[in-house]
Amino acid sequence: MEIPYTVTARKDTGLFNAKVGIWLFLASEVMLFGGLFSAYVFLRIYADYPWPERALPIVPGLINTFVLIGSSVTVVFAWASLKMRQWRRFQIFMAITIGCAAVFMVLKTIEYKAKWGHQAVRMDDFTIIEGHAHYATILSDGKVERFHTKKEAKKAGEKDAEVANKAAAAAKGKDEESGGSGKADLWKAGKPFKANVLLFKPETIDFSLVRAHESWVNAMLEQTGKRNSKLITAEDIFLYGDIEDYSGTKSDPRSSKERAQKEAEMVKEYATAEEKRGHKFGGNSLFIPAGTPLSYALLEKARKVFVAGRAHNAETRTAILRENWKSVRRDLPDDKYWDQAPEAKIDPAIQLVEQLDAEGNCTAGSKVVSLVSTLSFRMDPPQPIIIKRSWIKRPVKGQDGRAELRDDTSLNAGDGEGGASGLLESPLVLSVDAIDFRWMAQKAEEAGNDPMEVIEQSWIFSKANKKGSTYKKIWKVHKKRIAELEQHLIDKYGKDEEGKPRRVATETDRYRVSWQDFVHYARAEHDRLMPGDSGFDDLRPKFWNGFAGPNHKDEEIHKLHAFPELEIPHHKVSLQSMFTPKWNTYYAIYFTLTGLHGLHVVGGALVLGYYLFFSKGLYRSNPEWLANRVEIGGLFWHFVDLVWIFLFPILYLM
Amino acid sequence: MADTPEEIKKAQKKYLLIGLILFVFTVVTVAVATVPWLDFGEHGFDARDATIGLVIATIKAGLVGAIFMHLSHEKKTIYVLIVIGILMGISLMGLTGWAFDDPIEYGNSVERDGFFNPEVKAEQH
Repeated sequence: MEIPYTVTARKDTGLFNAKVGIWLFLASEVMLFGGLFSAYVFLRIYADYPWPERALPIVPGLINTFVLIGSSVTVVFAWASLKMRQWRRFQIFMAITIGCAAVFMVLKTIEYKAKWGHQAVRMDDFTIIEGHAHYATILSDGKVERFHTKKEAKKAGEKDAEVANKAAAAAKGKDEESGGSGKADLWKAGKPFKANVLLFKPETIDFSLVRAHESWVNAMLEQTGKRNSKLITAEDIFLYGDIEDYSGTKSDPRSSKERAQKEAEMVKEYATAEEKRGHKFGGNSLFIPAGTPLSYALLEKARKVFVAGRAHNAETRTAILRENWKSVRRDLPDDKYWDQAPEAKIDPAIQLVEQLDAEGNCTAGSKVVSLVSTLSFRMDPPQPIIIKRSWIKRPVKGQDGRAELRDDTSLNAGDGEGGASGLLESPLVLSVDAIDFRWMAQKAEEAGNDPMEVIEQSWIFSKANKKGSTYKKIWKVHKKRIAELEQHLIDKYGKDEEGKPRRVATETDRYRVSWQDFVHYARAEHDRLMPGDSGFDDLRPKFWNGFAGPNHKDEEIHKLHAFPELEIPHHKVSLQSMFTPKWNTYYAIYFTLTGLHGLHVVGGALVLGYYLFFSKGLYRSNPEWLANRVEIGGLFWHFVDLVWIFLFPILYLM
Repeated sequence: MADTPEEIKKAQKKYLLIGLILFVFTVVTVAVATVPWLDFGEHGFDARDATIGLVIATIKAGLVGAIFMHLSHEKKTIYVLIVIGILMGISLMGLTGWAFDDPIEYGNSVERDGFFNPEVKAEQH
């Protein structure tokens, strides 16, 4: 098909068609990004927490700005080269443009990775703590060890597995000699995990039939298997979907409790007989013998029976209620039905019907079945299970002996006979590279308190914190430095007529100890300098240090021990997250805006790459058409650059 | 619009110059935000810094649009399209303004209820 107006202009618009097309598209893009920028403004104005201004490392953003501007120039040159029919020159400029796109994406990846690997904690007193989470591994004896790095944790885990398996092999030899089976399960070294999880050693786990979350169930199963343990039902379980299966059996004990017991026995008999005959336990009921291993499929099957049982109960209750109404109308014919409405309670009605039933005077028919809404599994032998903090419903304390997950799964400690089960000590351990009291200060001011006083009573400086004195020392230096900064601002800018300083330290200066501050103070401590000493300020890291944030692997930082450790008891944590959209609305909009922009970069580079690698033929046959195509691709590319021109100052500098 | 090879050859110098200006403006933006003696208004970030940053960004965007995207000499159809797009974009931003009369209220947040803080919870009940 001949595409019209690819080279020549249409008379009415004076343009070749594609140009109108790309501008229409760009107009819609303006609206798309306009909407997102307005979301940014909205979130920032109405944030109920101190907005993290100037929180991102500038250097990668700055380089990316240069890269995009440079590529905008080269893409124009590529187009100009085509116009002048210089194919070789076009190739060079286009290649540089695509190279720039690649550099941009690499830098973006580095930035994103730094965010995803950076731990953030909000404590219950609104202290914000940032840092690198330590790693931990579970050893063969069920103990948990913590390490600074993933590598160390992995190594320790592997070494422990080796030792454990050697010992097991020796035991196996002995066992075989004495005529045993020689069976010994090999211990597989566990994967190291971040020390920001909960460790719980359950004796039993109860899963909710309606809410159990498949991936969590599977995660627990996988962990159990890895630690040579099993999750099995502790006792026989019967689930009745409805009563039809055994309602035909006649039994006439007067008390309903006895009757229920008797019926349960009969069902068990029936079920066992059916199982023996190789039949599945029929109808809408399910028999799970003791020792059945957990699987999500089993929970699903049980859920179906449970749901059927609930539906049966609903029907039965309706029937019973109807029966009750009949009797009400029979006994009190003169009353208006609404007079009786408060009396028409289901439970008394059920009791009534059961009583009538026992006397043989009821026509309501079937009976409400008792529903089992959870399945209980025993962990044999108990082993620690890693639970993500985001799974739990509320903080668990050691003495609770029970951890409840958001899907209503409950992990239960035993009675303590079989050794320590329950919550294992699982503090959140990290090397701290920033402490932020801005939110706490805001809360203190809202309550009419002096922020500084409140801050000094925070948990991190308290005796409850093992490292409290370290942080107290850092805070002391920080306070002194801020006093020095305030004095400096007064000296430089003076005071106004009312005697107030013209310029004061910002909230961020005052209440946030940044990673640069940590390094600064560690260097100063090393050189035995304090604020006010000459040379103190020279030890401050420059703004181009720490390319994409604090570098915990830096030799100097390591040597100075600039990022001290901290163990936060898990019930003190009110929110923990990596620097992802979950952490706060700032990171949510940051990832939305930069992510969408990054996709535009990738898309634009693909189009430009197509021109570079697959358009030689078109150049030979119709070079003007190719030039027009490159102009269109270039227009899109400039737009991507234009969006970044706004994104950079807004996200990195404001 | 520069369409003949000769015109384009001449225009290339202009493109380079604009690229250079954009580089310089970028440096200026960063300097204003990071160098203490270039800090306008209050100490640290404030409305004045935001205005300066956004004005420079707008100038840069204007240059990219006018020169690189040839908007300084384009056909009427395209101006119409852009004006509509920008007006719609601005009105989208303007929608945020409704919130000034109807702000978000957080009510009793989880933290304030002490839901995540058993001690507070124990005190309340």
